[in-house]
Amino acid sequence: MNIIVLIKQVPDTTDVKINPKTGNLIREGIPTIMNPYDMHALEEALRIKDKSGGKVTAITMGPPQAIDVMQEALAVGADTGILLTDEAFAGADTLATAYTLGRCIEKIGKYDLIICGLQAIDGDTAQVGPQVAEYLDIAQITYVRKIHISEKKLIAERIIEDGYEIIECNLPALITVIKEINKPRYPKINKVIDACSEAADIIIWNAGDIDAAEDKTGLTGSPTQVKQIFTPEHKRKGEMLTGTPDSIAKQLLDRLRGKKLIRN
Amino acid sequence: MKPEELLRKTISRFVDNELIPAAREIDEKDEFPYDMFRKLGALGAYSIRYPKEYGGANANNTMFCIMCEELARGSMAVAAFTAMQCLMGTNFIFRYGTDEHKKKFFIPAIKGEKVVAFALTEPEAGTDLFGGVRTIAQKVGDGYILNGMKTWITNAPYADCFTVLCQTDKAKGVKGLNFFLVEKGMPGLSISPKFSKLGTHGTDISEIAFENCHIPLENQLGADGRGISNLTAILAEIRTMTAALSLGLARAAFDASVQYAKERVQFGKPIGKFQAIQLKIGTMATEIEASKHLLYHTTKLLDEGKQCMKEASMAKYFISEVACRAADEATRIFGAYAYSMEYPVQRFYRDTRFLLYGGGTSEILQTIIAKEVGL
Ligand SMILES: Cc1cc2nc3c(=O)[nH]c(=O)nc-3n(C[C@H](O)[C@H](O)[C@H](O)COP(=O)(O)OP(=O)(O)OC[C@H]3O[C@@H](n4cnc5c(N)ncnc54)[C@H](O)[C@@H]3O)c2cc1C
Repeated sequence: MNIIVLIKQVPDTTDVKINPKTGNLIREGIPTIMNPYDMHALEEALRIKDKSGGKVTAITMGPPQAIDVMQEALAVGADTGILLTDEAFAGADTLATAYTLGRCIEKIGKYDLIICGLQAIDGDTAQVGPQVAEYLDIAQITYVRKIHISEKKLIAERIIEDGYEIIECNLPALITVIKEINKPRYPKINKVIDACSEAADIIIWNAGDIDAAEDKTGLTGSPTQVKQIFTPEHKRKGEMLTGTPDSIAKQLLDRLRGKKLIRN
Repeated sequence: MKPEELLRKTISRFVDNELIPAAREIDEKDEFPYDMFRKLGALGAYSIRYPKEYGGANANNTMFCIMCEELARGSMAVAAFTAMQCLMGTNFIFRYGTDEHKKKFFIPAIKGEKVVAFALTEPEAGTDLFGGVRTIAQKVGDGYILNGMKTWITNAPYADCFTVLCQTDKAKGVKGLNFFLVEKGMPGLSISPKFSKLGTHGTDISEIAFENCHIPLENQLGADGRGISNLTAILAEIRTMTAALSLGLARAAFDASVQYAKERVQFGKPIGKFQAIQLKIGTMATEIEASKHLLYHTTKLLDEGKQCMKEASMAKYFISEVACRAADEATRIFGAYAYSMEYPVQRFYRDTRFLLYGGGTSEILQTIIAKEVGL
């Protein structure tokens, strides 16, 4: 199995601050981490490799310092890391990102399965995975919590609002995974140190290396126009009822009745 | 990123997710936590300093100390047995043991399959180690016969082997001191029940006694007469490692204090708004920052192969005292809750005492530093 894992470097906070003047996210001084969902994607790839062999390639698109997440991926057990970095990639929306990642995957050529995290915790769109699958014209299954692979087929459990469904598709395919799928392992200390050495198998590619069309990457390739970014105000306030469980239940019922939300 | 950074990130994640949630139970159970011992083995913690051919990471002292510091932030008991496994308990077998010893003890120890111990201290040999050792190793035809006793031996109740300092020839004095490898179960070796002690619950300590304990010739670790110089060769590393443990504990006490000072409200505001609390936090932060610089300056000297007994002694002395002060202040900031077993602050306070004795007491280190500067 040749497995590709798509990984994003994100700010280590869910409390993203926005510069009110420029409308951009403030990234300075905020430490970065591997997108938590992507750790589960990588773990799933490694589990498949542990069981049936193969090769795991991690890909990230980002600024030069995104090499950090490739080092982390190698430390945990990925065989190769590819950092896609180029000024031309800057300002990409999900479509331009998916195009860039898709070009890289086409350049790699041989693959059976692509695993992504459900979404990145900074943008929260959950679009890049599906868009990569569309670009490559392969099957996709999102919100996956369990997979089984046999021969050239993939069977996945995918959660839906009130349960789950089981879907079968042919390989190659792309899945996006939720956190329940597994518990990511810790890298071994010797691999941590190797992953940060000069000899680590990390490839750096720019737009030319993946033959990316100029009008399809970065800001130019992004049809999404951001009009305004703002932090929503929390106008509604929660209220805590206190007392014994019985009295809390009574208070709650009284209020619901008072608002005519339930009948007497 | 630099390997130091990714290492700290990795260990820190392990400490936050695995060790801190387990620390209270380890402390309260007061039993060696085999589960955690094996987890750290699987992580490759015990082989961090050793060459790659043994599955190690070949890490330098800076990285070893980063790991010790982070682990001590979570649990001093766990950090203590890890340090024993990484350094004192395995060093002599690795450097001076036979291939057979390495196969039987060293490799399983750095994988987390066997527990090791290091036995210097005796009832009459504490700070006065060189002058006080009474355990005799007498050469006989095919080996040595050991008689005597060791005390305060970390891991002794469940250790698979011991690196033991013995006197082979009283007349030679310090030159008669040599290390020997003693295996669990050897006839003549007995181990006392574990001590009841103030802190580091989870790493057990006991006495061991030798009564005509016969060991083969090849169990002498190191060339004859080189025991003390071989010990001195890693003494700066031992002191620096203890300084790293101290820094981790100081940080744990500090982090808990800052968080509590923000949350605890009295007189209508968080106590952190009062100058009296700010003075404590300001001092703790400064001392911890100074400790970091002293510690990692010393590890850099070690990594460059430079002489640094003075700096290592300063680091152990200064930072262990910083940890004691930080834990003490934390118990004041927490008020009565520091006195409650529900909060970790009491554990930090008890565990600071562990840092004061091994690797040289503060008093003896101060005199060593004074000599180093010319007295
Ligand atoms: C938790 C724990 C784990 C330990 N683990 C091990 C282990 O695994 N293996 C091992 O071999 N040992 C171990 N030890 C023992 C430790 O190394 C000794 O406690 C240490 O060497 C100090 O000896 P002592 O306690 O006998 O103190 P003493 O030497 O009796 O000192 C008592 C006091 O006198 C002071 N003092 C002594 N001599 C001088 C002097 N010349 N000048 C000024 N002041 C002086 C000391 O500073 C101290 O304040 C452990 C101890 C503890 C508490």
